[in-house]
Amino acid sequence: MTTAKTDEVVKEQSAPSTPSDQRERDRMRRRLARRRGGGWWPYAFLAPWFVGLFGLTIYPMLASLYLSFTNFDLLTPAQWIGLDNYDKMFTDDPVFWDSVHATLLYVLVSVPLKLALALGVAMLLNRDLRGIGLYRAAFYLPSLLGGAVAIAIVWRQVFGGDGLFNDFLAWFGIKGQDWISSPDTALYTLILLAVWQFGTPMVIFLAGLKQLPKDVYEAAAIDGVTPVTRFFKITLPLLTPIVFFNVVLQIIDAFKTFTPAFVISNGSGGPLNSTMLYSLYLYKKGFTDLQMGYASALAWVLFLVIAGFTAVNFIASRYWVHYDD
Amino acid sequence: MGHQISRRTLFRSASGIAVAGALGTSLSACSGGTGAGSTSSDLTMIWWGSDDRHAAYKKALATFQKKNPKIKIRETYSGYDGYFDKFNTNIAGGSAPDLLQMDTALVAQYARKGVLAPIDSYVGKSLDLTGFSKTLLAAGTVDGKLYGVPSGIGVNQLTVNRSGLEKLGLKLPDREWTWADLKKISTDVYKKSGGKIYGVDDGGGGTLQCFEIFAREHGETFFSPDGKKLGFTAATLQEWWEYWADMRKANACPPPAITSAAHNDLTKNAVVIGKALFTFDSGVYGAGGSITDAQLDFLPTPQGDFSGAIEGNFVNGGVLLSATKASKKVADSVKIMSFFAQDATAIKDMQLLRGIPPTDKARKLIASGLTETDKLNMENADYISQRVGKASDALEAPAPPPQGADQIWDLLFQSNLAVAFGKKSIKAQLGEFFDQSAGILGG
Repeated sequence: MTTAKTDEVVKEQSAPSTPSDQRERDRMRRRLARRRGGGWWPYAFLAPWFVGLFGLTIYPMLASLYLSFTNFDLLTPAQWIGLDNYDKMFTDDPVFWDSVHATLLYVLVSVPLKLALALGVAMLLNRDLRGIGLYRAAFYLPSLLGGAVAIAIVWRQVFGGDGLFNDFLAWFGIKGQDWISSPDTALYTLILLAVWQFGTPMVIFLAGLKQLPKDVYEAAAIDGVTPVTRFFKITLPLLTPIVFFNVVLQIIDAFKTFTPAFVISNGSGGPLNSTMLYSLYLYKKGFTDLQMGYASALAWVLFLVIAGFTAVNFIASRYWVHYDD
Repeated sequence: MGHQISRRTLFRSASGIAVAGALGTSLSACSGGTGAGSTSSDLTMIWWGSDDRHAAYKKALATFQKKNPKIKIRETYSGYDGYFDKFNTNIAGGSAPDLLQMDTALVAQYARKGVLAPIDSYVGKSLDLTGFSKTLLAAGTVDGKLYGVPSGIGVNQLTVNRSGLEKLGLKLPDREWTWADLKKISTDVYKKSGGKIYGVDDGGGGTLQCFEIFAREHGETFFSPDGKKLGFTAATLQEWWEYWADMRKANACPPPAITSAAHNDLTKNAVVIGKALFTFDSGVYGAGGSITDAQLDFLPTPQGDFSGAIEGNFVNGGVLLSATKASKKVADSVKIMSFFAQDATAIKDMQLLRGIPPTDKARKLIASGLTETDKLNMENADYISQRVGKASDALEAPAPPPQGADQIWDLLFQSNLAVAFGKKSIKAQLGEFFDQSAGILGG
């Protein structure tokens, strides 16, 4: 087979070009050239996208890269200070490390929990029950609401000292505390809020589950495989591409979390910087403390960290994600 | 009306008044109209505050426009949340408003960055500041130039739940009280209430600059005159934190969870939720009126009860009205400032909504129309300003705080909290506080 392929290639390469072939090729070339030259109108249709790409993405990114090497306070012109912002960040800014700590904890705890819950609920909802659409909508609802400021405010009330959650605990005779204002628990209320918004990965899992081949399960059922084994030996391996997709997306999302941290801590990132998520710190530096150059540097570090996490994810995926051959 | 209408009070009021604070302000930020633009020929004016203050401003400005039909004013207003974020963005984007309500805590920062227009040349001409004392004008004076007209007298004072105190059979302390008196009555409150109510909210974090007064009683300032360093010693701060550690131990002030919850949220203030009877946060009776049903009263910050103690209280300027340097209508803006400073209808419209009016004439104008609590409030503020005026040993009123002041105040709050939560010893936290402060002020 290999030899046949090689022969073919050799034949193609060595085929002498006849005059008629030459004419045909010239005609093609002219037609392509005409198409290229006169084809301005597709670009006109693409123009809004290009304006968006260059005006709203590439230019601001380059500008922020430049500003990250300056001392820019928004009000007076930027001054070039080289790598000082980056240097200060890593050597002389304890709040930066507080925010890194809070953010990593937030990402590493909330993402696995959220995905586990999303997969669990997706499996429950992957049945032909009456009114299943209603259930699916009900479980998806928090994700529609979750990003809203209003929900974060509700969260603050629920987990406050005299909030609903403590009333609930009181039924069991447990005396609660103010979960939001204690540095040991504040971040976990944020994590809980994130986990509660499991709707988007759930819908994606549900779509994945629908695609799984039924005959494999039928064969397994005939062989008497238990549901637990079925889940770990069939469902999960077949679902790994979907899991991978969700992991990548949710990690990126979690790194960028801002609104709940801002609202629940009243913009302070407190108590004791325990809810100072990275994006919140970045915002505070840029707009409240008037250190836009420093904030730009923070933004680029975040960009690189997210890129790093994603790259590691892709590399690791070779060992655990299985695609159909 | 809180006399100390500093940015931090209002930050708290703004975020606290509505339960849906952030939602409310983000909505009002939108409803406040488009970003003040240079495209229009209108004079753009922005301010922050409560609904009461908005209404008062609008009423006064309507009178102004009747008298000056040529000056068209476009008003934009919101809560404190996001007010300066938006202002910064407008300045950076070249669409600065012409006239704005400015925070005494931020005026130095903006003046030194060249954002504000100096207005000395108008004083005595179109800007009538008759009756304004020199100490009051200091609130708007940066490096010898005037950048804003103060709206009224601001003093630091404690707000007291008087009816709650009487219910426990306790008497309102004398105005000449000391830190030891505060500790005694606060401990009594806890005992007499059967452990249900603490005495005073935790002042160790320096809410509302009560630490600043404590430092001044030691003859020290919060910031050095040039704003590049802290003006107080580690020994003073240590003494302060030890006082509050004792207070917490005696249950004279509430545990850190309550203190922490009240941070930036007036609705969780210990006096408002009924967990304490004294608070340093004058926002409890703030620019929007009282947010508790209790009968309130007011007291000066306690006096130093250590050797060499001097008068620590001071008078500042409420909020300011400032013009921006980029504006082409500075002259018109100055006319409006003058109107708010001297016009009888404007003074009556504003009442105490921007602080106790700055001149004797203005105070007399509004005296008859005040509510009972407003009257008590003004009396106490008068008392403090007279005491400060008579004190021969008092330091000058502090210069407007430098850039980074906000971060330092927050650091002070978080440091006290770290001690209160038992995360750090006072000694260790002192070291961190001075290290980080140096970083903030130096860089």
